[in-house]
Amino acid sequence: MKKIYILGAFACLFAACKPSVNITVPSTAGDAVFTNYLAIGNSLTAGYADGSLYVTGQLNSYPQRLFEQFSMIKDRGARGPFYQPLLNGDMGFGPGSTGTGNNRPRKVIGYTFNCLGDTSIGPVDLPYYSADADDAKAYTSPNRQVNNIGVPGIRVSDYLVSFYASLNPYAGRFYYSASETPLDELLFRVNNLHPTFFTMWLGSNDVLGYALAGGQGDGSGNAGPGAFGLYNSADITPTSVFKMNYDTAVAVASSVGAKGALINIPDITSIPFFTTIPSNGLYIPRQSLADSLTQFYRSLNYVFSLGYNQFIIRDNVGALRQSVPGELILITTPHDSLTCAGWGSFKAIPEQYVITTDELQNIRNATTRYNEIIRSAAERNLLAYVDMFSYMSTLQSGIVYHGVNYNASFISGGAFSLDAVHLTPRGYAIVANKIISTINEKYHSTVTPVDVNKFHGVLFP
Amino acid sequence: MKKHLLAASLVLTSFSSFGAGYQLNLQGLRQLAMGGAGTAMPWDASTIFYNPAGLSRIKSIQAYVSVLGVMPATAYGNFEGSARSVKQTFTPFNIYVGGPVKEGGRLALGLGIYTPFGTGIKWDDNWTGKFLVQSIELKSVFVQPTISYRLSETWSFGAGFIYAAGTFDLRQALPVQNMLGEDASAHLHGSGNGVGFNLGVHMKASERLQLGLTYRSQVNMDVDGGSANFNVPVSVKNIFPNTTFSSRLPLPQVLSLGIAVKPLNNEKLTLALDFNYTGWNSYDSLRINFDTHTEMLKDMHAPRKYRNTFTTRLGANYKIGKVVSVMGGAAYDPTPVTNNFVSPELPDADRVIVTCGAAIKPIKRFTILASCEFLTSLKRKSNYAYGNFSGTYWTQAITPGVGVYYNF
Repeated sequence: MKKIYILGAFACLFAACKPSVNITVPSTAGDAVFTNYLAIGNSLTAGYADGSLYVTGQLNSYPQRLFEQFSMIKDRGARGPFYQPLLNGDMGFGPGSTGTGNNRPRKVIGYTFNCLGDTSIGPVDLPYYSADADDAKAYTSPNRQVNNIGVPGIRVSDYLVSFYASLNPYAGRFYYSASETPLDELLFRVNNLHPTFFTMWLGSNDVLGYALAGGQGDGSGNAGPGAFGLYNSADITPTSVFKMNYDTAVAVASSVGAKGALINIPDITSIPFFTTIPSNGLYIPRQSLADSLTQFYRSLNYVFSLGYNQFIIRDNVGALRQSVPGELILITTPHDSLTCAGWGSFKAIPEQYVITTDELQNIRNATTRYNEIIRSAAERNLLAYVDMFSYMSTLQSGIVYHGVNYNASFISGGAFSLDAVHLTPRGYAIVANKIISTINEKYHSTVTPVDVNKFHGVLFP
Repeated sequence: MKKHLLAASLVLTSFSSFGAGYQLNLQGLRQLAMGGAGTAMPWDASTIFYNPAGLSRIKSIQAYVSVLGVMPATAYGNFEGSARSVKQTFTPFNIYVGGPVKEGGRLALGLGIYTPFGTGIKWDDNWTGKFLVQSIELKSVFVQPTISYRLSETWSFGAGFIYAAGTFDLRQALPVQNMLGEDASAHLHGSGNGVGFNLGVHMKASERLQLGLTYRSQVNMDVDGGSANFNVPVSVKNIFPNTTFSSRLPLPQVLSLGIAVKPLNNEKLTLALDFNYTGWNSYDSLRINFDTHTEMLKDMHAPRKYRNTFTTRLGANYKIGKVVSVMGGAAYDPTPVTNNFVSPELPDADRVIVTCGAAIKPIKRFTILASCEFLTSLKRKSNYAYGNFSGTYWTQAITPGVGVYYNF
């Protein structure tokens, strides 16, 4: 063995020293066939980021990353083109905050001035935003081919709702027909594309809506549907509805013999939307202030002290109480109100900005139930089961990749985009690698992982 | 309320370098050409480095100059792809002046200026390990005034005081990007100095057998006031302020034992065998202490956990005639870097070294030396746990050298 290296050293004389290392793990498909790849999902699949959908985000979606890696495989690798319903530009598209029109700017890092006159940097709406008229036009592609049918906002409970394209502008841009259900759309895509491989990442929105609304829905997972068969968007989808719709969608997706991967629902309570403001974020700099707060809340027998204290909360029936450790405060709680208007101290934070421990339990229980449905669907249909719940929980403590520590902190963590829910291009690349490693395990393939650091994270002015 | 939501995680995981491979064994061309074995045989004034005791064995005062060109190349590969270091040439040099104070006398004095430690590697700025290192360079120069005394025909002793000066330079990308998606970067540059000593015993058992034993102490290079510059987007400049830093880098102690024999009756052939025991375990961790701290800029403490190494060197010198000698040799130099600590600033691995050279004496008192060293590491699959960076490395280097010396 050593002789070879000694020979190598002499060879070095003539070759002018050119050692090379080729780790020859060729990309192979194993038991899978990646030729026609179809991605099914919600905003995470669409490439939604920074509070909106825009073309750069779409081009950095995890399905795009997966397609690129699948297409490196020579035998049974993906064959393009890979059509995503791309927008025209980077302004941002979607329902605006006022509820009328599709004028949803993406967020960027900008300078902000708070009520005290302090300057800091943080997420702001794109300053030069003007809705791009071309974004609102229907998406067209040759033969109407679409490989990524991720629709921001879609829930499993929406899958049997007719005229879905008229209810959701993201679906409206590319759905085959205005009257169909999302399930009809899936069936159409399957028959149109004949996928040999699909990924499905659905279900987060069936519990996220409840959490984003501060747990204001029923939360038991038993509430019935409203008009048009739509379930309350601020509530938790009933398990039976989830199971029926999800199983049907998987059956349709694999109806032409496709193999694939089902991705489970991450722990939404660990995303920065809920973890950035701690429940003990009430900072008291002076003893006199602590004393006056203690005096103010004397009827409740709370004692405030220097440093960090639990916020004061007003529950739905108007009762005041101090928050307890473990409760989550939404990132949407108005900052200026916390800083200057006495929110959380002399004025209580309204309950709609708080996820109580009971509500947290509702979210966790629902997630566990849904993930069990997803896991058994994967098992029954012999599909790969990507445990994103566990993987993204490790983000909490941090994932070090090639010298960079990615974690779930807002802005500084590098993985979450400026809306505190969706991911940066690097975050989506990390997710793609988790999916790839699960696929490789299940199908004995050797799909090459993504070089995460090639893509960008949060951009700073 | 958390006031600063932002900032990006600065992981100065890097800056670990100065590893094993940073020992250079290029101090005398004849010894270099003999696999680096030079502890037992005082060929010329470069014995100031190899064994200070040998200086009193030299016949007259000698001036010695040599220069080398180190041309390393490293390749890296992992599941995702491969990379190759950018070509560079380093030029360490050696100057030795010294010999007996009186011709044939027992006391000898000398001065050596040489470069026992140094390393450098440069990767493409956009390579996959850019957040660990883009380029790094360490240089050191030792200045060693030396005294040597020949006690008897058999025994001689020597001692040198070492003053060391050095510089290093590190560039790496930071995971903070501007609006164009360009990475921020850090540039650390510093210089340091330290002191130590070099002791030697030489035994001339017979005309055909010589032995040497040396100890070179550890030299702690203390860096103070090094500059740390951060090229970051304006909005985060306050958390990545340009500052200064201090650090300490241990250049390890080395214990060497050498044997030289002349097996042939005509004494034309000399064989030399050296063992070096290098105390790398003093390099337990690397600490970089910044003089300014922010929530993102914190002192760095990276574990290194080097282990001591045992190097074997074997060489031969054959005197063809009065004018020409030729040399050849080989060495096996194991790495001090353990498996979980192999980082791309110093992707060190066990090394196999093959050397050759020639000495020509065209006129009286004047000798010209030429040597060449070929080095190849064994391919090493390893991991850098601190930065979660794994892969396979392979390093090769070719080092030609020329030198002259003159006997007064």
